[in-house]
Amino acid sequence: MTDMKYTRILNITLLSGVMFFLVSCNGLFDDIYDGANSQDDTRYGFINRDVQTSSGTVYVNASSYSKWIFLDFHTLTIDSTEVADSVKEPAQWDIAIHHYDARTNSGQVIETASTDIDGVVSSKEYSDSVFTKDIWTTDNIIVDLSQMIYGKFKYADSYYNAVLSRWLRVDTRTMPPSYSMSGRVYVIRMKDGTCAAVKLDNYMNTAGVKGYLTIYYIYPLDV
Amino acid sequence: MKTYYLMLLMVGGFISANADPIDKMTRDTVLLQTVVVTGTRTPKILGNSPISTRVITADEIKKIDATHIGELLQQEIPGIEFSYSMNQQVSLNMQGFGGSSVLFLQDGERMAGETLDNVDYYRLNLDNVERIEIVKGAASSLYGSNAVGGVINIISKKSSKAWSANANVRFGAYGEQRYGVSAGINSGHINNMANVQHTDVDEIKLKHSGDYSKIFANRTWNFKDRLIYTYNDKLNLTARAGYFFRECDMLAEAKNRYRDFCGGLKGNYTFTRKDNLELAYAFDQYDKSDYVVKNHNDIRDYSNVQHSARVLFNHTFDKDKTLSVGGDVMRDYLMSYQFTDNGNKTQYTYDAFAQIDAQLTSKLDVIAGLRYDYYSKAKSNRLSTKLGLMYKLGLVNLRMAYSGGFRAPTLKEMYMNFNMANIFMIYGNEKLKSETSDNFSLSADYRRQNYDFELTGFYNLVSNRITTAWNQSLKGMKYINMADMKVAGINANVSARYACGLRARMSYAYTYEHIKSGEPLVSATRPHTATMRIEYDRKWKNYGFCLSLSGRYLSRVTADEYTSYTSYETTEKKTYTDYSIWKLSLLQRVCHGIDVTMAVDNLFNYVPGYYYNNSPTTRGTVFSAGVSIDIDELIR
Repeated sequence: MTDMKYTRILNITLLSGVMFFLVSCNGLFDDIYDGANSQDDTRYGFINRDVQTSSGTVYVNASSYSKWIFLDFHTLTIDSTEVADSVKEPAQWDIAIHHYDARTNSGQVIETASTDIDGVVSSKEYSDSVFTKDIWTTDNIIVDLSQMIYGKFKYADSYYNAVLSRWLRVDTRTMPPSYSMSGRVYVIRMKDGTCAAVKLDNYMNTAGVKGYLTIYYIYPLDV
Repeated sequence: MKTYYLMLLMVGGFISANADPIDKMTRDTVLLQTVVVTGTRTPKILGNSPISTRVITADEIKKIDATHIGELLQQEIPGIEFSYSMNQQVSLNMQGFGGSSVLFLQDGERMAGETLDNVDYYRLNLDNVERIEIVKGAASSLYGSNAVGGVINIISKKSSKAWSANANVRFGAYGEQRYGVSAGINSGHINNMANVQHTDVDEIKLKHSGDYSKIFANRTWNFKDRLIYTYNDKLNLTARAGYFFRECDMLAEAKNRYRDFCGGLKGNYTFTRKDNLELAYAFDQYDKSDYVVKNHNDIRDYSNVQHSARVLFNHTFDKDKTLSVGGDVMRDYLMSYQFTDNGNKTQYTYDAFAQIDAQLTSKLDVIAGLRYDYYSKAKSNRLSTKLGLMYKLGLVNLRMAYSGGFRAPTLKEMYMNFNMANIFMIYGNEKLKSETSDNFSLSADYRRQNYDFELTGFYNLVSNRITTAWNQSLKGMKYINMADMKVAGINANVSARYACGLRARMSYAYTYEHIKSGEPLVSATRPHTATMRIEYDRKWKNYGFCLSLSGRYLSRVTADEYTSYTSYETTEKKTYTDYSIWKLSLLQRVCHGIDVTMAVDNLFNYVPGYYYNNSPTTRGTVFSAGVSIDIDELIR
């Protein structure tokens, strides 16, 4: 190959290289990434309700440690209050969520062996004795993490359902904490005797930010 | 230890006298003749460099068989400790200087991005590396910001044969896999070297409790290519490109991803034998993203893009005096999840430098340098100086140097506004001053027959070191400048080599840190560290081997630790235990071009009782094996 050919190839290579990099002051290949926001991220509450199967999805922003989020399966509505304002609880609600903790409104919960919510069709196969009521707790509802690095937390006194809260295990003994979902379906018997089946499907939003819960549900369960 | 030493001697006694140990001795002599560039930015024979430089050769890299730069440096250089920080990001301590104060270069070029305190060390692929040059001490008069505690320059291989090809693979414990392929061509005007490396390791559940309970699974891909076109005796052009990808399984539902795209063009024109000009342009983009497994979303939340241009002119006069003048312009763009609303900031930096390296007499060499840096966002300017002397007194080389170092506050440190997992906020500080260091060093080396001795003492006065501290009015952490502190120490090195193929090396580092009374000393720099290596290397016509035992010792250290993150008023003493780790490896050279490596790492089964962030991440003794095939050698 002659020097002239070499020179031509080199010129093209160099020119391409210079153009490639210089035109991209703030970087290359934006297209390989996805957008941070999607429609789902802005739609909170009861979404994707299928009337025929009585099933749907609840999407909750539970990223705050200072709020209780109240879900009402009867009216398919959500509400929230500050943890400190326990007197301002809504008049009607079925379960409440604080970050990943859960409690019921005088209800009871059982963890099924099923990981498929469509496979749980009735609460009647479970006896009353295996349902678990809420307990009063002083060391579960974390409201201040500023001493977390030393394994110390500030807690709020509250009712707490230890079974339903198993839907996500957060191990804070190490930094960063580790997260593991049970993947199980939980059956909740409300105080009026109606039942719901719920399964935590995700605890992150579409951008991977933690504290956003996607919950599959069937309500009413026994019809 | 004694057992292994005796074993090596016994093996040596049974080896045939037909073996060729001369090759080994020659290599050691050649090492002193190695051309190094980092200390002076111009090619300089290692033995004649007025700036003390430690070189880790390709041969040593092959014998150590490390995948991660941290593993290699810790095994060879005392005073270097790689630890974990938040989210298992890797952080460095080099004799009292954190990673942000140690400048890492790839073929002399800066790297974009940071993990916590420095570049992403996983980018520093050790496959296809010609040598690594380590210069301890400040070097800002040549390299500007970050060269406070030292410079580590990774030099890639060039193709020296008409064609070359290498394929290598290594398997280790916990599903560790490493694959590498290199191909080179050197024909006429063209010299090209391409390399691909892939690594993969499974999650490692640690044996005991600690600051962390497992090591996340990790995989990397690393591509790089460098093309050198020699147009004629006067002009050569270099083009390079690289791509890096790393994925870390922090959670089952989401993975952390890291990517880098880099490229560069460089032209070198030699006007006469005395004058040459280098023009260079470099691009480096380092991205971080979170990959959400469920919906396959890959969301970028960090991007650091650096464009830089450099001019460097070297003029040699009076036979042995070299004047180097040059300057750089860099555009530094940073988009980060740690800024308000994932915002971005851009900064321009400008610098100009001049250096003269002159051999005044046959015994005395002097180097002096001056550099001015300006940072647009920090509105910071800095003049850095250096003066080094080397005097040859018989077989002893005496070196004495003063050098200034500085580190300008980064965009992150100036503009951070970050909610740390609802634990606390971290705020940047636009009024930060540059961290500076005045470095004084004195060294002597003595080489006679089979032995080398080297002793270095250094003293650093460090001002305005940048750190974070609790701010009561903000109710959060804020970047601040620390009180002045002093970092001093000693480095000693002894090595011996014998014609029978036996070689030993022992290096020791002592580090002393002092901060004025009443101020906490929170860095956990271990005062005493040592590395040791003994090897027996023999080579015949179609077979050779190198059996080596290497180890490192890190002393215990007691550091101040704040009793609370939200109150910096009280501290408590925290002691980290001492430990040593040993590795036995056997490299066998089969036929021509096939190297088989087997290694037992953590030979004496050390397991930390509690895994602190600075504990070795080991569960005990592990075995690894690998093969490297130089295909061109095999065919020839």
